[in-house]
Amino acid sequence: MEQVVVNGLYLGAQYALIALGLTLIFALMNVLNFAHGQMYVLGGFVTYTIYGQMKLPFVLALVCSGLTLAVVGAFCEKFLFRPVIRRSKRDESTMLLAAAIAFLLDAVILLLFGEKQRGVPKIINGVFLSDTIVMPYDRIVVGVVAIVMIATFVLYMQYSKTGRAMRALAQDRVAAQLMGVNVERYSMIGFALGAMLAGVVGGLLVTITGISSGIGGPISIKAFMMVMIGGAGVVGGAIAGGFILGMMESVGLTVLREFGDITYLVIFVCLMVFLSIRPNGLMGKPWG
Amino acid sequence: MGNLLSLKDVQLYYDHVYALKGVSIDVNEGETVALIGANGAGKSSILRAITGLKGIRSGSIRYDGQSIDKAGPDVIVRMGISMVPEGRRVFPLMSVRDNLLMGAFTRTDKAEIRQSLEMVLARFPRLKERYTQAAGTMSGGEQQMLVIGRALMARPRLLLLDEPSLGIAPKLVQDIARSIVAINREDKVSVLLVEQNSRMALRISQRAYAIATGKVALSGNSAELLEDSRVKDLYLGGEV
Repeated sequence: MEQVVVNGLYLGAQYALIALGLTLIFALMNVLNFAHGQMYVLGGFVTYTIYGQMKLPFVLALVCSGLTLAVVGAFCEKFLFRPVIRRSKRDESTMLLAAAIAFLLDAVILLLFGEKQRGVPKIINGVFLSDTIVMPYDRIVVGVVAIVMIATFVLYMQYSKTGRAMRALAQDRVAAQLMGVNVERYSMIGFALGAMLAGVVGGLLVTITGISSGIGGPISIKAFMMVMIGGAGVVGGAIAGGFILGMMESVGLTVLREFGDITYLVIFVCLMVFLSIRPNGLMGKPWG
Repeated sequence: MGNLLSLKDVQLYYDHVYALKGVSIDVNEGETVALIGANGAGKSSILRAITGLKGIRSGSIRYDGQSIDKAGPDVIVRMGISMVPEGRRVFPLMSVRDNLLMGAFTRTDKAEIRQSLEMVLARFPRLKERYTQAAGTMSGGEQQMLVIGRALMARPRLLLLDEPSLGIAPKLVQDIARSIVAINREDKVSVLLVEQNSRMALRISQRAYAIATGKVALSGNSAELLEDSRVKDLYLGGEV
Protein backbone atom coordinates (compact mmCIF):
# COMPACT_ATOMS: atom_id res chain seq x y z
CA MET A 1 0.00 0.00 0.00
CA GLU A 2 2.66 2.54 1.05
CA GLN A 3 4.70 1.45 -1.93
CA VAL A 4 1.84 2.27 -4.29
CA VAL A 5 1.42 5.72 -2.76
CA VAL A 6 5.13 6.51 -2.96
CA ASN A 7 5.29 5.35 -6.57
CA GLY A 8 2.23 7.46 -7.31
CA LEU A 9 3.77 10.55 -5.74
CA TYR A 10 7.01 10.03 -7.63
CA LEU A 11 5.19 9.67 -10.96
CA GLY A 12 2.73 12.43 -10.12
CA ALA A 13 5.48 14.98 -9.47
CA GLN A 14 6.97 14.35 -12.95
CA TYR A 15 3.57 14.45 -14.58
CA ALA A 16 2.51 17.62 -12.79
CA LEU A 17 5.64 19.38 -14.02
CA ILE A 18 4.89 18.36 -17.61
CA ALA A 19 1.25 19.44 -17.28
CA LEU A 20 2.24 22.81 -15.78
CA GLY A 21 4.20 23.73 -18.90
CA LEU A 22 1.33 22.73 -21.16
CA THR A 23 -1.30 24.58 -19.15
CA LEU A 24 0.83 27.73 -18.91
CA ILE A 25 1.11 27.96 -22.69
CA PHE A 26 -2.60 27.29 -23.07
CA ALA A 27 -3.60 29.86 -20.45
CA LEU A 28 -1.46 32.61 -21.92
CA MET A 29 -1.95 32.09 -25.63
CA ASN A 30 -4.91 29.76 -26.04
CA VAL A 31 -2.54 27.43 -27.87
CA LEU A 32 -2.70 23.66 -27.42
CA ASN A 33 0.94 22.72 -27.69
CA PHE A 34 0.81 19.29 -29.32
CA ALA A 35 4.62 19.34 -29.48
CA HIS A 36 4.95 19.29 -25.69
CA GLY A 37 5.95 15.61 -25.62
CA GLN A 38 8.54 16.14 -28.33
CA MET A 39 9.99 19.01 -26.31
CA TYR A 40 10.24 16.60 -23.38
CA VAL A 41 12.10 14.10 -25.59
CA LEU A 42 14.48 16.77 -26.85
CA GLY A 43 15.25 17.72 -23.25
CA GLY A 44 15.96 14.07 -22.50
CA PHE A 45 18.41 13.79 -25.38
CA VAL A 46 20.23 16.98 -24.39
CA THR A 47 20.87 15.52 -20.94
CA TYR A 48 21.78 12.18 -22.53
CA THR A 49 24.38 13.90 -24.72
CA ILE A 50 25.92 16.10 -22.05
CA TYR A 51 25.73 13.78 -19.04
CA GLY A 52 25.71 10.35 -20.70
CA GLN A 53 28.04 10.94 -23.65
CA MET A 54 30.27 13.84 -22.66
CA LYS A 55 30.40 12.72 -18.98
CA LEU A 56 29.83 16.25 -17.69
CA PRO A 57 28.00 16.83 -14.38
CA PHE A 58 24.31 15.93 -14.34
CA VAL A 59 23.24 19.31 -12.95
CA LEU A 60 24.92 21.07 -15.87
CA ALA A 61 23.17 18.72 -18.29
CA LEU A 62 19.81 19.42 -16.67
CA VAL A 63 20.35 23.18 -16.89
CA CYS A 64 21.29 22.80 -20.56
CA SER A 65 18.11 20.79 -21.20
CA GLY A 66 16.06 23.60 -19.70
CA LEU A 67 17.91 26.34 -21.56
CA THR A 68 17.79 24.56 -24.92
CA LEU A 69 14.05 24.13 -24.66
CA ALA A 70 13.54 27.69 -23.44
CA VAL A 71 15.26 28.85 -26.63
CA VAL A 72 13.25 26.44 -28.78
CA GLY A 73 10.04 27.60 -27.08
CA ALA A 74 10.83 31.29 -27.52
CA PHE A 75 11.70 30.66 -31.16
CA CYS A 76 8.44 28.77 -31.79
CA GLU A 77 6.42 31.57 -30.23
CA LYS A 78 8.15 34.46 -31.99
CA PHE A 79 8.56 33.06 -35.47
CA LEU A 80 5.77 30.50 -35.77
CA PHE A 81 2.83 31.05 -33.42
CA ARG A 82 2.92 34.86 -33.31
CA PRO A 83 2.53 35.41 -37.07
CA VAL A 84 -0.14 32.71 -37.31
CA ILE A 85 -2.13 34.16 -34.40
CA ARG A 86 -1.85 37.63 -35.93
CA ARG A 87 -3.22 36.51 -39.28
CA SER A 88 -5.74 33.88 -38.33
CA LYS A 89 -8.70 34.23 -36.00
CA ARG A 90 -9.36 30.49 -35.85
CA ASP A 91 -8.01 28.27 -33.08
CA GLU A 92 -7.54 25.38 -35.49
CA SER A 93 -4.68 27.20 -37.19
CA THR A 94 -2.50 27.14 -34.09
CA MET A 95 -3.48 23.52 -33.40
CA LEU A 96 -2.33 22.52 -36.87
CA LEU A 97 0.85 24.52 -36.42
CA ALA A 98 1.53 22.82 -33.07
CA ALA A 99 0.94 19.41 -34.65
CA ALA A 100 3.31 20.31 -37.46
CA ILE A 101 5.98 21.34 -34.95
CA ALA A 102 5.47 17.99 -33.19
CA PHE A 103 6.15 16.08 -36.44
CA LEU A 104 9.09 18.33 -37.27
CA LEU A 105 10.69 17.82 -33.86
CA ASP A 106 10.06 14.06 -34.12
CA ALA A 107 11.93 14.01 -37.43
CA VAL A 108 14.77 16.20 -36.19
CA ILE A 109 15.21 14.06 -33.06
CA LEU A 110 15.21 10.89 -35.15
CA LEU A 111 17.86 12.32 -37.47
CA LEU A 112 20.09 13.58 -34.69
CA PHE A 113 19.79 10.77 -32.15
CA GLY A 114 18.51 7.72 -34.03
CA GLU A 115 15.65 5.43 -33.12
CA LYS A 116 17.38 3.51 -30.32
CA GLN A 117 16.29 3.74 -26.71
CA ARG A 118 19.07 5.56 -24.83
CA GLY A 119 19.95 5.48 -21.17
CA VAL A 120 22.51 7.16 -18.94
CA PRO A 121 24.42 5.99 -15.86
CA LYS A 122 22.52 6.24 -12.59
CA ILE A 123 22.99 9.58 -10.84
CA ILE A 124 23.08 7.86 -7.44
CA ASN A 125 23.37 4.16 -6.69
CA GLY A 126 21.62 2.28 -3.94
CA VAL A 127 18.10 1.62 -2.83
CA PHE A 128 16.12 2.88 0.11
CA LEU A 129 14.65 -0.07 1.99
CA SER A 130 12.15 -0.17 4.82
CA ASP A 131 9.51 -2.69 5.93
CA THR A 132 6.98 -1.48 3.41
CA ILE A 133 8.80 0.67 0.87
CA VAL A 134 11.48 -0.09 -1.69
CA MET A 135 12.65 2.98 -3.54
CA PRO A 136 15.91 3.52 -5.43
CA TYR A 137 17.73 6.65 -4.27
CA ASP A 138 17.86 8.15 -7.75
CA ARG A 139 14.07 8.04 -7.97
CA ILE A 140 13.84 9.81 -4.62
CA VAL A 141 16.22 12.53 -5.83
CA VAL A 142 14.33 12.98 -9.10
CA GLY A 143 11.00 13.09 -7.26
CA VAL A 144 12.24 15.66 -4.76
CA VAL A 145 13.76 17.84 -7.48
CA ALA A 146 10.45 17.75 -9.34
CA ILE A 147 8.48 18.74 -6.23
CA VAL A 148 10.88 21.58 -5.47
CA MET A 149 10.49 22.82 -9.04
CA ILE A 150 6.70 22.71 -8.80
CA ALA A 151 6.84 24.71 -5.57
CA THR A 152 9.26 27.22 -7.13
CA PHE A 153 7.02 27.61 -10.15
CA VAL A 154 3.92 28.21 -8.04
CA LEU A 155 5.71 30.75 -5.84
CA TYR A 156 7.12 32.48 -8.91
CA MET A 157 3.67 32.78 -10.51
CA GLN A 158 2.15 33.96 -7.24
CA TYR A 159 4.66 36.50 -5.99
CA SER A 160 6.95 37.75 -8.76
CA LYS A 161 6.03 40.66 -10.97
CA THR A 162 6.46 38.56 -14.11
CA GLY A 163 4.27 35.82 -12.64
CA ARG A 164 1.61 38.32 -11.71
CA ALA A 165 1.67 39.76 -15.22
CA MET A 166 1.29 36.28 -16.74
CA ARG A 167 -1.67 35.52 -14.47
CA ALA A 168 -3.24 38.85 -15.41
CA LEU A 169 -2.71 38.12 -19.08
CA ALA A 170 -4.41 34.74 -18.72
CA GLN A 171 -7.39 36.19 -16.84
CA ASP A 172 -8.09 39.24 -18.99
CA ARG A 173 -5.91 39.94 -21.99
CA VAL A 174 -7.26 43.42 -22.75
CA ALA A 175 -7.16 44.59 -19.14
CA ALA A 176 -3.57 43.33 -18.86
CA GLN A 177 -2.64 45.33 -21.96
CA LEU A 178 -4.20 48.41 -20.40
CA MET A 179 -1.96 47.91 -17.36
CA GLY A 180 1.04 48.15 -19.66
CA VAL A 181 1.78 44.44 -20.11
CA ASN A 182 3.42 43.86 -23.48
CA VAL A 183 1.44 40.87 -24.72
CA GLU A 184 4.01 39.70 -27.26
CA ARG A 185 6.87 39.81 -24.79
CA TYR A 186 5.01 37.94 -22.08
CA SER A 187 3.62 35.36 -24.49
CA MET A 188 7.20 34.62 -25.47
CA ILE A 189 8.36 34.39 -21.86
CA GLY A 190 5.44 32.08 -21.07
CA PHE A 191 6.06 29.82 -24.04
CA ALA A 192 9.77 29.62 -23.22
CA LEU A 193 8.97 28.79 -19.59
CA GLY A 194 6.45 26.11 -20.56
CA ALA A 195 8.83 24.47 -23.02
CA MET A 196 11.63 24.71 -20.46
CA LEU A 197 9.58 22.73 -17.93
CA ALA A 198 9.02 19.98 -20.51
CA GLY A 199 12.77 19.89 -21.25
CA VAL A 200 13.75 19.70 -17.60
CA VAL A 201 11.41 16.78 -16.92
CA GLY A 202 12.85 15.03 -19.97
CA GLY A 203 16.33 15.58 -18.53
CA LEU A 204 15.28 14.29 -15.12
CA LEU A 205 13.55 11.17 -16.39
CA VAL A 206 16.25 10.11 -18.83
CA THR A 207 18.18 9.01 -15.74
CA ILE A 208 15.38 6.64 -14.72
CA THR A 209 13.52 5.40 -17.74
CA GLY A 210 15.89 6.39 -20.55
CA ILE A 211 14.68 8.17 -23.63
CA SER A 212 13.74 7.23 -27.17
CA SER A 213 12.62 9.24 -30.16
CA GLY A 214 9.16 7.70 -30.37
CA ILE A 215 7.71 8.58 -26.97
CA GLY A 216 6.92 12.25 -27.65
CA GLY A 217 3.38 11.55 -28.83
CA PRO A 218 2.38 9.35 -25.87
CA ILE A 219 3.85 11.92 -23.45
CA SER A 220 1.78 14.67 -25.10
CA ILE A 221 -1.33 12.55 -24.74
CA LYS A 222 -0.64 11.98 -21.05
CA ALA A 223 -0.08 15.71 -20.59
CA PHE A 224 -3.40 16.49 -22.26
CA MET A 225 -5.15 13.96 -20.03
CA MET A 226 -3.75 15.61 -16.90
CA VAL A 227 -4.77 19.05 -18.08
CA MET A 228 -8.26 17.77 -18.90
CA ILE A 229 -8.61 16.15 -15.48
CA GLY A 230 -7.53 19.27 -13.63
CA GLY A 231 -9.04 21.88 -15.92
CA ALA A 232 -7.28 23.66 -18.76
CA GLY A 233 -5.33 26.80 -18.04
CA VAL A 234 -5.36 26.51 -14.26
CA VAL A 235 -2.09 26.00 -12.37
CA GLY A 236 -3.73 24.15 -9.49
CA GLY A 237 -5.59 21.96 -11.98
CA ALA A 238 -2.41 20.92 -13.76
CA ILE A 239 -0.78 19.93 -10.47
CA ALA A 240 -3.86 18.04 -9.31
CA GLY A 241 -4.21 16.34 -12.70
CA GLY A 242 -0.57 15.29 -12.67
CA PHE A 243 -0.75 13.72 -9.23
CA ILE A 244 -4.11 12.08 -9.96
CA LEU A 245 -2.83 10.47 -13.16
CA GLY A 246 0.38 9.40 -11.42
CA MET A 247 -1.59 7.86 -8.61
CA MET A 248 -4.04 6.10 -10.96
CA GLU A 249 -1.16 4.68 -12.96
CA SER A 250 0.59 3.49 -9.82
CA VAL A 251 -2.55 1.89 -8.39
CA GLY A 252 -3.53 0.45 -11.75
CA LEU A 253 -0.16 -1.18 -12.33
CA THR A 254 -0.43 -2.94 -8.96
CA VAL A 255 -4.10 -3.82 -8.78
CA LEU A 256 -4.71 -4.68 -12.42
CA ARG A 257 -1.45 -6.52 -12.98
CA GLU A 258 -3.05 -9.95 -13.17
CA PHE A 259 -5.40 -8.83 -15.95
CA GLY A 260 -2.55 -7.85 -18.23
CA ASP A 261 -1.65 -4.44 -19.59
CA ILE A 262 -5.02 -2.74 -19.21
CA THR A 263 -4.22 0.13 -16.82
CA TYR A 264 -4.44 2.83 -19.48
CA LEU A 265 -7.56 1.30 -20.95
CA VAL A 266 -9.23 1.67 -17.55
CA ILE A 267 -7.85 5.19 -17.11
CA PHE A 268 -9.21 6.27 -20.49
CA VAL A 269 -12.64 4.88 -19.69
CA CYS A 270 -12.61 6.67 -16.32
CA LEU A 271 -11.57 9.90 -18.03
CA MET A 272 -14.41 9.66 -20.55
CA VAL A 273 -16.98 9.12 -17.82
CA PHE A 274 -15.46 11.92 -15.73
CA LEU A 275 -15.42 14.42 -18.61
CA SER A 276 -19.02 13.67 -19.50
CA ILE A 277 -19.94 14.70 -15.96
CA ARG A 278 -17.48 17.60 -15.60
CA PRO A 279 -16.40 18.79 -19.05
CA ASN A 280 -14.33 21.63 -17.58
CA GLY A 281 -12.31 19.32 -15.35
CA LEU A 282 -11.88 19.70 -11.61
CA MET A 283 -10.98 23.38 -11.52
CA GLY A 284 -11.59 24.45 -15.12
CA LYS A 285 -13.01 27.91 -15.57
CA PRO A 286 -15.56 28.81 -18.21
CA TRP A 287 -13.22 31.54 -19.49
CA GLY A 288 -10.70 28.99 -20.65
CA MET B 1 -4.51 75.45 -18.69
CA GLY B 2 -2.53 73.72 -21.41
CA ASN B 3 -3.87 71.30 -23.91
CA LEU B 4 -3.27 67.71 -22.76
CA LEU B 5 -5.04 65.54 -25.32
CA SER B 6 -6.20 66.46 -28.77
CA LEU B 7 -7.98 64.31 -31.35
CA LYS B 8 -8.19 65.81 -34.85
CA ASP B 9 -10.57 64.42 -37.42
CA VAL B 10 -10.11 60.83 -36.24
CA GLN B 11 -11.62 58.08 -38.37
CA LEU B 12 -11.81 54.51 -37.12
CA TYR B 13 -13.19 51.41 -38.80
CA TYR B 14 -13.98 47.88 -37.69
CA ASP B 15 -13.29 45.97 -40.89
CA HIS B 16 -15.36 47.97 -43.40
CA VAL B 17 -17.82 49.46 -40.93
CA TYR B 18 -17.02 52.93 -39.64
CA ALA B 19 -17.24 53.67 -35.92
CA LEU B 20 -15.78 57.18 -36.02
CA LYS B 21 -15.98 59.42 -39.06
CA GLY B 22 -14.00 62.50 -38.23
CA VAL B 23 -14.01 63.15 -34.49
CA SER B 24 -12.17 66.12 -32.98
CA ILE B 25 -12.09 66.57 -29.23
CA ASP B 26 -9.77 68.22 -26.72
CA VAL B 27 -8.98 67.69 -23.07
CA ASN B 28 -7.11 70.41 -21.24
CA GLU B 29 -4.89 69.96 -18.21
CA GLY B 30 -6.99 69.68 -15.04
CA GLU B 31 -10.33 69.31 -16.78
CA THR B 32 -13.07 66.74 -16.53
CA VAL B 33 -14.56 66.24 -19.98
CA ALA B 34 -17.60 64.06 -20.63
CA LEU B 35 -18.57 62.17 -23.77
CA ILE B 36 -22.29 61.48 -23.83
CA GLY B 37 -24.44 59.76 -26.40
CA ALA B 38 -26.46 56.70 -27.20
CA ASN B 39 -25.24 53.14 -27.25
CA GLY B 40 -23.14 52.51 -30.36
CA ALA B 41 -22.56 56.19 -31.07
CA GLY B 42 -18.80 55.70 -30.96
CA LYS B 43 -17.92 56.87 -27.46
CA SER B 44 -16.04 53.72 -26.50
CA SER B 45 -14.28 53.66 -29.87
CA ILE B 46 -12.82 57.08 -29.04
CA LEU B 47 -11.30 55.63 -25.86
CA ARG B 48 -10.07 52.54 -27.72
CA ALA B 49 -8.36 54.81 -30.21
CA ILE B 50 -6.67 56.88 -27.49
CA THR B 51 -5.41 53.84 -25.56
CA GLY B 52 -4.04 52.20 -28.70
CA LEU B 53 -6.29 49.15 -28.39
CA LYS B 54 -7.58 49.92 -31.89
CA GLY B 55 -5.63 51.65 -34.64
CA ILE B 56 -7.18 54.66 -36.37
CA ARG B 57 -7.55 54.97 -40.13
CA SER B 58 -6.88 58.69 -40.43
CA GLY B 59 -6.61 61.84 -38.39
CA SER B 60 -4.26 62.43 -35.48
CA ILE B 61 -4.12 61.92 -31.72
CA ARG B 62 -1.70 64.08 -29.78
CA TYR B 63 -0.99 63.84 -26.09
CA ASP B 64 1.25 66.24 -24.23
CA GLY B 65 2.60 67.55 -27.54
CA GLN B 66 3.49 64.12 -28.95
CA SER B 67 1.75 62.08 -31.60
CA ILE B 68 0.47 58.83 -30.06
CA ASP B 69 -1.71 57.39 -32.78
CA LYS B 70 0.81 54.68 -33.70
CA ALA B 71 1.69 53.65 -30.14
CA GLY B 72 0.50 50.40 -28.53
CA PRO B 73 -1.41 50.19 -25.23
CA ASP B 74 1.66 49.39 -23.12
CA VAL B 75 3.50 52.49 -24.40
CA ILE B 76 0.50 54.73 -23.82
CA VAL B 77 0.10 53.65 -20.19
CA ARG B 78 3.73 54.56 -19.64
CA MET B 79 3.05 58.04 -21.01
CA GLY B 80 0.51 58.65 -18.27
CA ILE B 81 -2.87 57.68 -19.72
CA SER B 82 -4.80 55.13 -17.65
CA MET B 83 -8.02 53.52 -18.74
CA VAL B 84 -10.88 52.11 -16.71
CA PRO B 85 -12.49 49.75 -19.22
CA GLU B 86 -16.19 49.17 -19.68
CA GLY B 87 -17.66 46.23 -17.81
CA ARG B 88 -15.06 46.61 -15.05
CA ARG B 89 -12.73 43.80 -16.14
CA VAL B 90 -11.04 43.06 -12.85
CA PHE B 91 -8.61 40.13 -12.82
CA PRO B 92 -11.22 37.84 -11.26
CA LEU B 93 -9.00 35.22 -9.63
CA MET B 94 -6.48 37.69 -8.27
CA SER B 95 -6.78 39.36 -4.88
CA VAL B 96 -7.64 43.04 -4.54
CA ARG B 97 -4.03 43.61 -3.61
CA ASP B 98 -2.65 41.87 -6.72
CA ASN B 99 -5.16 43.72 -8.92
CA LEU B 100 -3.93 47.03 -7.53
CA LEU B 101 -0.29 46.02 -7.94
CA MET B 102 -1.01 45.16 -11.58
CA GLY B 103 -2.11 48.77 -11.95
CA ALA B 104 1.42 49.80 -11.01
CA PHE B 105 2.94 47.35 -13.50
CA THR B 106 4.80 50.07 -15.40
CA ARG B 107 6.40 51.50 -12.25
CA THR B 108 9.52 50.26 -10.51
CA ASP B 109 9.79 52.57 -7.50
CA LYS B 110 8.77 50.21 -4.69
CA ALA B 111 8.44 52.82 -1.95
CA GLU B 112 6.33 55.12 -4.10
CA ILE B 113 4.13 52.23 -5.23
CA ARG B 114 3.43 51.53 -1.57
CA GLN B 115 2.53 55.20 -1.12
CA SER B 116 0.10 55.06 -4.04
CA LEU B 117 -1.38 51.87 -2.62
CA GLU B 118 -2.11 53.65 0.65
CA MET B 119 -3.61 56.62 -1.19
CA VAL B 120 -5.93 54.38 -3.19
CA LEU B 121 -6.99 52.44 -0.09
CA ALA B 122 -7.68 55.73 1.69
CA ARG B 123 -9.82 56.88 -1.25
CA PHE B 124 -11.73 53.56 -1.36
CA PRO B 125 -11.81 52.19 2.21
CA ARG B 126 -14.05 49.33 1.04
CA LEU B 127 -11.08 47.90 -0.85
CA LYS B 128 -9.10 47.76 2.36
CA GLU B 129 -11.77 45.50 3.90
CA ARG B 130 -11.58 43.21 0.87
CA TYR B 131 -7.81 43.39 0.51
CA THR B 132 -7.04 39.66 0.21
CA GLN B 133 -10.36 38.61 -1.34
CA ALA B 134 -10.52 37.42 -4.97
CA ALA B 135 -11.74 40.33 -7.06
CA GLY B 136 -14.25 38.21 -8.97
CA THR B 137 -16.22 37.52 -5.79
CA MET B 138 -16.95 41.19 -5.01
CA SER B 139 -20.08 43.19 -5.86
CA GLY B 140 -20.29 45.28 -9.02
CA GLY B 141 -19.81 48.53 -7.15
CA GLU B 142 -16.77 47.23 -5.31
CA GLN B 143 -15.29 45.98 -8.56
CA GLN B 144 -15.82 49.41 -10.10
CA MET B 145 -13.95 51.00 -7.19
CA LEU B 146 -11.20 48.44 -7.68
CA VAL B 147 -10.72 49.17 -11.39
CA ILE B 148 -10.66 52.92 -10.75
CA GLY B 149 -8.12 52.35 -7.98
CA ARG B 150 -6.14 50.05 -10.26
CA ALA B 151 -6.00 52.74 -12.94
CA LEU B 152 -4.82 55.29 -10.36
CA MET B 153 -1.97 52.98 -9.36
CA ALA B 154 -0.26 53.88 -12.63
CA ARG B 155 -0.20 57.51 -11.38
CA PRO B 156 -1.83 58.85 -14.54
CA ARG B 157 -2.07 62.44 -15.73
CA LEU B 158 -5.14 61.55 -17.75
CA LEU B 159 -7.77 59.06 -16.60
CA LEU B 160 -10.17 57.57 -19.14
CA LEU B 161 -13.37 56.11 -17.73
CA ASP B 162 -15.67 53.97 -19.87
CA GLU B 163 -19.22 53.77 -18.47
CA PRO B 164 -18.30 53.63 -14.77
CA SER B 165 -21.97 53.74 -13.70
CA LEU B 166 -23.14 50.89 -15.92
CA GLY B 167 -24.78 48.11 -13.93
CA ILE B 168 -24.02 49.71 -10.56
CA ALA B 169 -26.59 50.16 -7.76
CA PRO B 170 -27.95 53.77 -7.85
CA LYS B 171 -26.65 54.53 -4.39
CA LEU B 172 -23.13 53.58 -5.40
CA VAL B 173 -23.31 55.66 -8.59
CA GLN B 174 -23.30 58.73 -6.33
CA ASP B 175 -20.22 57.42 -4.52
CA ILE B 176 -18.40 56.77 -7.76
CA ALA B 177 -19.34 60.21 -9.13
CA ARG B 178 -17.97 61.76 -5.96
CA SER B 179 -14.73 59.78 -6.26
CA ILE B 180 -14.25 60.95 -9.84
CA VAL B 181 -14.65 64.58 -8.74
CA ALA B 182 -12.18 64.02 -5.91
CA ILE B 183 -9.64 62.37 -8.20
CA ASN B 184 -9.88 65.33 -10.55
CA ARG B 185 -9.70 68.06 -7.88
CA GLU B 186 -7.47 66.56 -5.20
CA ASP B 187 -5.17 64.28 -7.18
CA LYS B 188 -5.00 66.76 -10.09
CA VAL B 189 -5.78 64.10 -12.67
CA SER B 190 -7.49 65.18 -15.89
CA VAL B 191 -10.50 63.01 -16.69
CA LEU B 192 -12.20 61.95 -19.89
CA LEU B 193 -15.49 60.32 -18.94
CA VAL B 194 -17.70 58.25 -21.22
CA GLU B 195 -21.21 57.84 -19.82
CA GLN B 196 -24.70 56.88 -20.85
CA ASN B 197 -25.88 58.38 -17.58
CA SER B 198 -25.70 61.82 -19.19
CA ARG B 199 -27.08 63.76 -16.24
CA MET B 200 -24.41 62.45 -13.89
CA ALA B 201 -21.72 63.01 -16.50
CA LEU B 202 -22.79 66.60 -17.17
CA ARG B 203 -22.98 67.38 -13.46
CA ILE B 204 -19.42 66.35 -12.69
CA SER B 205 -17.70 67.61 -15.86
CA GLN B 206 -16.75 71.08 -16.99
CA ARG B 207 -17.15 70.48 -20.72
CA ALA B 208 -18.88 67.79 -22.74
CA TYR B 209 -19.25 66.42 -26.24
CA ALA B 210 -22.39 64.68 -27.42
CA ILE B 211 -21.45 61.92 -29.85
CA ALA B 212 -23.90 60.61 -32.44
CA THR B 213 -23.22 58.14 -35.27
CA GLY B 214 -19.46 58.53 -35.10
CA LYS B 215 -19.36 62.33 -35.01
CA VAL B 216 -19.47 65.15 -32.50
CA ALA B 217 -23.09 66.35 -32.62
CA LEU B 218 -22.90 69.00 -29.91
CA SER B 219 -20.25 70.36 -27.62
CA GLY B 220 -19.88 72.97 -24.97
CA ASN B 221 -19.96 73.86 -21.34
CA SER B 222 -21.53 71.05 -19.27
CA ALA B 223 -23.70 73.33 -17.14
CA GLU B 224 -25.13 74.92 -20.27
CA LEU B 225 -25.63 71.57 -22.02
CA LEU B 226 -27.56 70.37 -18.98
CA GLU B 227 -30.12 73.16 -19.73
CA ASP B 228 -29.98 72.83 -23.52
CA SER B 229 -33.34 71.72 -24.92
CA ARG B 230 -31.77 69.45 -27.56
CA VAL B 231 -29.68 67.68 -24.93
CA LYS B 232 -32.69 67.40 -22.64
CA ASP B 233 -34.76 65.76 -25.35
CA LEU B 234 -32.08 63.45 -26.67
CA TYR B 235 -29.98 62.46 -23.69
CA LEU B 236 -31.79 63.35 -20.50
CA GLY B 237 -35.05 61.61 -21.33
CA GLY B 238 -37.05 64.86 -21.51
CA GLU B 239 -37.41 65.25 -17.75
CA VAL B 240 -35.51 67.60 -15.49
